[in-house]
Amino acid sequence: MTELMVKNACVIDPLNRINTEMMDIAIRDGRIVESVSGNADVIDAKGCLTLPGGIDSHTHVCGTKVNFGRYMSPEDMRAGRTARSGKMHVTSGYYVPTTYGNSYRYSRMGYTTLLEGAMAPLEARHTHEEFTATPHQDMLANTLFDGNWSVMEAVQKGDVRRVAAIVAWTLTAVKGYSIKLTNPGGTEAWGWGEDVTSIHEQVPNFNVTPAEIITAMIAANEMLRLPHSVHLHCNNLGKPGNYRTTLETFDLVPDRNKERQSLYATHVQFHAYGGTTWRNINSKAEEIARSVNAKPQIVMDMGQIMFGRTMTMTADGPMEFKLYCLHHNKWSNHDVELETGSGIIPVLYSKKSLVNCVMWAIGLELALLTKNPYQCLLATDNPNGAPFVKYPEIIGLLMSKRYRDEEFATLHDGTGQRTAISSIDREMDWNEIAIMTRAGQAKALGITTQGKGHLGVGAEADVAIYPIRCRDVDPSTEYRKVVEGFQKTMYTIKRGRVIAREGEIIVEGANSTFWVNPSVPEEISVASDPEFVKKFEEYYTVRMSNYPVQDVYLPRGKCIRTEAVL
Amino acid sequence: MIIKDVVCPFCGCLCDDLDVEVDGQKILKVQNGCALADATLTGSNRLPAPIRRTDAGWEETSYDDAIRDAADILLSADRPLLYGWSSTHGEAQSIGVHIAELIGGVIDNTSTVCHGPSILAIQEVGHPGCTLGQVKNRADVVVYWGCNPMVAHPRHMSRYTTFATGFFVPEAQRGREVIVVDTRRTESAEIADEFIRIERGGDYEVLSALRAIVQGKTSVLPREIAGVSREQLIRVAEICKKAKFGAIFFGLGLTMSPGKSKNVRNAIELTDELNRHTKFIISPLRGHSNVYGSNEVFTWISGYPYAVDFSRGIAFYNPGETTAVDILRRGECDAALIVASDPGAHLPHSAAAHLAKIPTILIDPHQTATTPLCRIQIPCTIAGIDAEGTAYRMDGVPLRYKKLIESSYPDDADLLRRIHDRIREVQGA
Amino acid sequence: MKAILNTGRTIPQGVAVEHKGSPGYRAAVSVCHMNPVDLMDLGIEEGALVVLTSRAGSIVLSTSASEEINRGEVFVPLGPYANHIISAETHATGMPDFKSEPVDVVPTDKQVKDIDGVMESIGGVRYDH
Repeated sequence: MTELMVKNACVIDPLNRINTEMMDIAIRDGRIVESVSGNADVIDAKGCLTLPGGIDSHTHVCGTKVNFGRYMSPEDMRAGRTARSGKMHVTSGYYVPTTYGNSYRYSRMGYTTLLEGAMAPLEARHTHEEFTATPHQDMLANTLFDGNWSVMEAVQKGDVRRVAAIVAWTLTAVKGYSIKLTNPGGTEAWGWGEDVTSIHEQVPNFNVTPAEIITAMIAANEMLRLPHSVHLHCNNLGKPGNYRTTLETFDLVPDRNKERQSLYATHVQFHAYGGTTWRNINSKAEEIARSVNAKPQIVMDMGQIMFGRTMTMTADGPMEFKLYCLHHNKWSNHDVELETGSGIIPVLYSKKSLVNCVMWAIGLELALLTKNPYQCLLATDNPNGAPFVKYPEIIGLLMSKRYRDEEFATLHDGTGQRTAISSIDREMDWNEIAIMTRAGQAKALGITTQGKGHLGVGAEADVAIYPIRCRDVDPSTEYRKVVEGFQKTMYTIKRGRVIAREGEIIVEGANSTFWVNPSVPEEISVASDPEFVKKFEEYYTVRMSNYPVQDVYLPRGKCIRTEAVL
Repeated sequence: MIIKDVVCPFCGCLCDDLDVEVDGQKILKVQNGCALADATLTGSNRLPAPIRRTDAGWEETSYDDAIRDAADILLSADRPLLYGWSSTHGEAQSIGVHIAELIGGVIDNTSTVCHGPSILAIQEVGHPGCTLGQVKNRADVVVYWGCNPMVAHPRHMSRYTTFATGFFVPEAQRGREVIVVDTRRTESAEIADEFIRIERGGDYEVLSALRAIVQGKTSVLPREIAGVSREQLIRVAEICKKAKFGAIFFGLGLTMSPGKSKNVRNAIELTDELNRHTKFIISPLRGHSNVYGSNEVFTWISGYPYAVDFSRGIAFYNPGETTAVDILRRGECDAALIVASDPGAHLPHSAAAHLAKIPTILIDPHQTATTPLCRIQIPCTIAGIDAEGTAYRMDGVPLRYKKLIESSYPDDADLLRRIHDRIREVQGA
Repeated sequence: MKAILNTGRTIPQGVAVEHKGSPGYRAAVSVCHMNPVDLMDLGIEEGALVVLTSRAGSIVLSTSASEEINRGEVFVPLGPYANHIISAETHATGMPDFKSEPVDVVPTDKQVKDIDGVMESIGGVRYDH
């Protein structure tokens, strides 16, 4: 039995409606309890800001395309390298850190749970191997279904139960957590070098539209009672005028779930462009936010870009190729048979580029114009918008109009005409930031019942103590302190163990991977369905019996069982 | 007993449809595999016990002694080299990297003499690729450049290209055009629809010529390029541009000929340009079953796919300097750990000779050409035969090797773990 | 006769590569494939022995005729014999010139060493059990 007492913590725990209360937190055997004995180890938080461990609801840290990004970029590996030290392994990489690099840097920032943004089922084994090598965060895998042949065939037939059965079989087989759709239909079109340009356009050879895929998957998701909603990277990412696609997509979404959203729209900044070309692109964040404000069934994340170099990597193969045609940088592509695609290319977001300045403004506008912070979460689609180590700067910008104005003054002088950012006075407060970086993610991902995202009794003891005294810092003017404070915790505690202290990782990790096992009635199960099995017999290049991820890959897997309601 | 859907541990095809008949500790018969699979799985003649060379000659030794001696050798070295890795599973590769990290050594895998140059090219211009099933289901044009799959990857054509039926290519070979490019008429050239015979060393020029044609600059070309007629190249470029889905596979003909990584870079850039006209991918034919796995594992731990030098405390990568052949040629390493590969057979001898001069530990189930060069050989299981573990196919798809038979040999991951733990223990003391 | 040495995989080499102690392996990798006209110019029949010398060393191999090998080129399957005469120069790429080593080909009456013999010539110690 191990006991820990955190004394003098200034706690913000939005899910339990606690907002800057001084309290002690008692921890036993990895969970928060009412009280502990006098033998407990004691940590003195010294009145500093104490939050539940950070949760990133959309980040690319593990798997095939992430590793592609690493080994094609030795110059980035060199830029971010650190030496072996104490318990810490060597790390490399700045925009695409190695797995230990990711884990240590997230830990330093107080993050204890991560959702990997995209995992192709066929290559899930790779993602799980890297999960184990990201030892200080619990991991969840967004599982890609956007170009899935079996799913598209079922959608074409209008058979939502079959869609649910395919999703159930696949998530169980590859130990995924949730349904991810990236440019639905578009990734299959990219198998031929094409794309879809509207949610009502037919996917070549499959006679379904993205709208039909999205609608059917939302219905299937709810049928399966999955903890997270469908997680969507909308069609037409990055194209001027694409805000219409985004609004049309949002209009498709029914309100099917009392506990959480029915659609999680990711990195919406990339999907909020007005105008018709790069020359007249402008911000439509206001329109998007208005739609979301009226729809409690939608949660989004910002997809904020920050200036500087970074690496884009996404299952949206056609979009990455367009970037290649634009910038001629080194470009990688990796389409996955019967399932999805991906592309990787480095980019530079520059203040000299009006387009990039507009993008920067849009992300912030989305957050500031969304009334309910639970509906717009902080993320950069790491590393696509910016490496996650920039989150503290984004927090600073959200909390301080002055900081935004100072940054704005350094941007391309055409930015003001295309964006609304300079006229927005709102400054997020500590509670709203806590929602946008942990409570909101936990709720959206459906992991509050797993004890994540809050500090109530029974919760997992994932705690981050930041060197910030809320009462003594005015975030509006002292944004530098805010940024520095969020960059490095005094302590990061995970399951009751101190993982990081003043930026140094002091123990080896033993993370868990959360996955779902949704069960469907025998009569609709696809496990022995001839059409489904035929995909493996004839079209996949991997045998059906070799496809599922064996238990050995999840040494401390946490399986969440659900029962389908048809 | 017949074990179905066995993953073959020989070449980069990683065929996973073998049916293997076993009898406790012996493999009797292999079905669906090629001749290479057959030979790999049904062979025997493994070294029975660890051996050690002393001044008096070879003697058997115990696993405990061999492990302790191996750890001691690595601990006392200033610049140890850990080489090989391609034929074992990811679990062992991972421990290898951590050992190198602990002792500040250099770790390199067989990419260094195989597709290392391809990796260098990818690091310059990227890799537009896909999984093999995309090719099987869609490709109506397949190019094999500088490789001979009929010999080195015997089932590649039947599982993934020429002879395979795909969802969009139900007529298999009749629905595909196969182009082979090589300096001699190989077995693969014999079954091609179009054979381009290039003068030795002419790949770079011919690739440049094709790029010029694809870009509409045919007028700059002479009548003949590296022994190939302009007319043939125009015809081939047209075939490629009109393809619905084209796939280029390439091998050591590009990576080992003069120009090396620049040859591969040119081929990748040709693929990039073809993508402006239609869908095209390019992918290397990786040799060993799990060499790509060693690249993946090295990368997610250290940041680099091969030739990783930990002597500075950070991970450092500089092919030409930190690559095995160069380190051995310069006589720079003072101890070596060779795992799952045979440098005595596959590295130039003026480099491999150095292994005989320094204390070299060999972890390998068989007596090989490296055996005479080492001081200690520790036999272990064979991944895919008597040990299970992860392997990455040539296109990045990860599979799990099955354990087909029981044996009394230790898993090389366990051996390495014990060496790692002993090193850590001594360092901590 | 001057020639360029190319090395690579063959089926017999691949089939035997996990059994390097076998006669099959030795036979597969200690052979120099040459164009029949080049053999004729050297005044030997297929199967006769030649010594190949490069900047890295020399090795005795048997011969085999193949019309597919270009004149002025020789092909030796990858293995300890071929690598005995491939230079370790990599031009800072890490990769030796496995497919373009200049060699001199001369008929010989020396014997083809066994693999252990080749390894002994670079400092190894034969292991017989």
